[in-house]
Amino acid sequence: MQSLCKFYEMGDQIVRALDSINLVFRLNDYTAIMGPSGSGKSTLMNIIGCLDTPTSGIYELNGQNVAEVDDDELARIRNKEIGFVFQTFNLLPRLNCLRNVELPLIYAGVEPEEREQRAAEALVKVGLGDRITHKPSELSGGQIQRVAIARALINKPSIILADEPTGNLDTATSHDIMDIFGALSDAGNTIILITHEEDIATYTRRVIRLRDGKIESDTMQ
Amino acid sequence: MMKQTFRQFRYETTESFKMAFFQIKANKIRSFLTALGVIIGIVAITMMGTAINGIDRGFDKSLAMLGYDVIYVQKSSWSTMGQWWRYRNRPDLKTEYADQLNRIIADNPRSELSIAVPQMSTYQASAKYRERNLEQVFSLGTTNNYLQTASGNLSAGRFFTPGESASSAMVCVIGDDIAVGLFPDEPALGKSIQIKNHNFRIIGIFRKQGKFLGLFSFDNQIIMPLGAFERVYGKNMFITMRVKIKHQEHIEEAKEELLGMMRRIRRIPPGREEDFSINEQKAFKSQLDPIKNGIAIAGIFITGMSLFVGAIGIMNITFVSVKERTKEIGLRKALGARRQTILLQFLIESVMICLIGGVIGLAITLITTFAIEIIVPDFPVQFSPDLVFASLAVSVITGIISGLAPAVTASKLDPADSLRYE
Repeated sequence: MQSLCKFYEMGDQIVRALDSINLVFRLNDYTAIMGPSGSGKSTLMNIIGCLDTPTSGIYELNGQNVAEVDDDELARIRNKEIGFVFQTFNLLPRLNCLRNVELPLIYAGVEPEEREQRAAEALVKVGLGDRITHKPSELSGGQIQRVAIARALINKPSIILADEPTGNLDTATSHDIMDIFGALSDAGNTIILITHEEDIATYTRRVIRLRDGKIESDTMQ
Repeated sequence: MMKQTFRQFRYETTESFKMAFFQIKANKIRSFLTALGVIIGIVAITMMGTAINGIDRGFDKSLAMLGYDVIYVQKSSWSTMGQWWRYRNRPDLKTEYADQLNRIIADNPRSELSIAVPQMSTYQASAKYRERNLEQVFSLGTTNNYLQTASGNLSAGRFFTPGESASSAMVCVIGDDIAVGLFPDEPALGKSIQIKNHNFRIIGIFRKQGKFLGLFSFDNQIIMPLGAFERVYGKNMFITMRVKIKHQEHIEEAKEELLGMMRRIRRIPPGREEDFSINEQKAFKSQLDPIKNGIAIAGIFITGMSLFVGAIGIMNITFVSVKERTKEIGLRKALGARRQTILLQFLIESVMICLIGGVIGLAITLITTFAIEIIVPDFPVQFSPDLVFASLAVSVITGIISGLAPAVTASKLDPADSLRYE
């Protein structure tokens, strides 16, 4: 991404949430984006996740400039290329684990039998093979987040994008979840993590620090 | 690519139906209250349809008794019944016209008419057998050709012969009510009854036919040869020419032809209004049109109002639902749901609420209809498959109209903002 800017108008003022950001994420990168609140990390995540488009600049994902595509194409990219993991898990409470995990496949137009099979495999991968018919309300926070990770994995995305994935979990569970991300990274997935917890960031190989919409530091560790 | 798109659409739709079902199940009372307007609307529209159907059916049943292929020459017109003053000064018809008509028909092989049969009648007859007496009997004098122009079969005996007709024999064929009324415990056939101090021998009995429009009964008539009728009641009774036509579908041509013949017989110069009327059973039908229209207008008004209110309710609740599920919408968009997917999901939900309302409304009408048929069998109600289709269509349309605005709103929500929504 080059000279990425995102401006918001608030009353008379223009808020530069992101100001001339230049970043490259390579295949199999394991990155943490850090910064205090208001630093622009959520905005950056939204743009990386194709939930939002930049005001100016270029965002290329697999060689395609995402700033130029329409809503439906953005939806398709989110479906195929991005796997989201949220702080608040965001599972649909009325559906069981299997149905939650297969949701992206429905939007991808995958046949029911294949959907179920792949969803079940993804749940096994995150260690929930025995919980596939449970509803979210019957699971612990850590288990719910693992279901969400399975959902993010299901379409074999280019990027797994996790927004404060451990923000609502206790320390022990957080480390379990980070172990899963580590294993996914070892398996060749590209992972971008948004966090403000230093010890979570230590799990990653690259740390990008944002402040006031600008990159403060970008270090490999 | 096309196939892929279609498959995607199919899976998304299936998913939307499931979600709509879950949603309605999770909010049973809310959904029911929302659907109430639709329920009332559908009950109104189906009740109306049922009533109109019933009236039509009652009518058709009655009209079938008259015979679809018989037209009637009479002094007054059926379609302007009640305007007796218009016909008061018309000259009476004569039974001889039938013979004249038949002669003209015989001379024209291409005639649309097949036979004319004269009939004299009175509603004021009475019949007596020993101590039993029936008043307000419909008495009718005609020829042996009568049966060609009338429906109804004999359950016993026979109709009178040409010989009996020509010689004005004192014989009669009676309707079922009269047979039962005068002879509750014994066979009526062969017995003699007294009509105005004249003795008539019963030679035939009609099978029961039921009431015509619930007013007039063919089971309450006594049919006798024309000469015998004149002997009892005199010549000044109400005269009708029953004319059978060859092809039901050529009824208009047949009426035209008959009109010309009657003008010739009556010697009415061209340009002057005829002093007789040609009636067909269709005239009855037009008499009921105002009533049917009244029911229809009232029904449509009630339906329209309740569906309108119902639609607003559904729109409102769908807006609430969109607001409540902003986060879910954001999530679905993040997972790859396109605008149309979200649009469809909310549309399906509102359509489903309406459809459930429609089905409940239909069920209420069905139960009511059955109840009416059991409690008051004569009351004309008739349920029809058309009504099911119409009311379901109305439900779906209401659902689409009321769901569209909220669904569009939902589909346009910004995914990043909606994900942050609490």
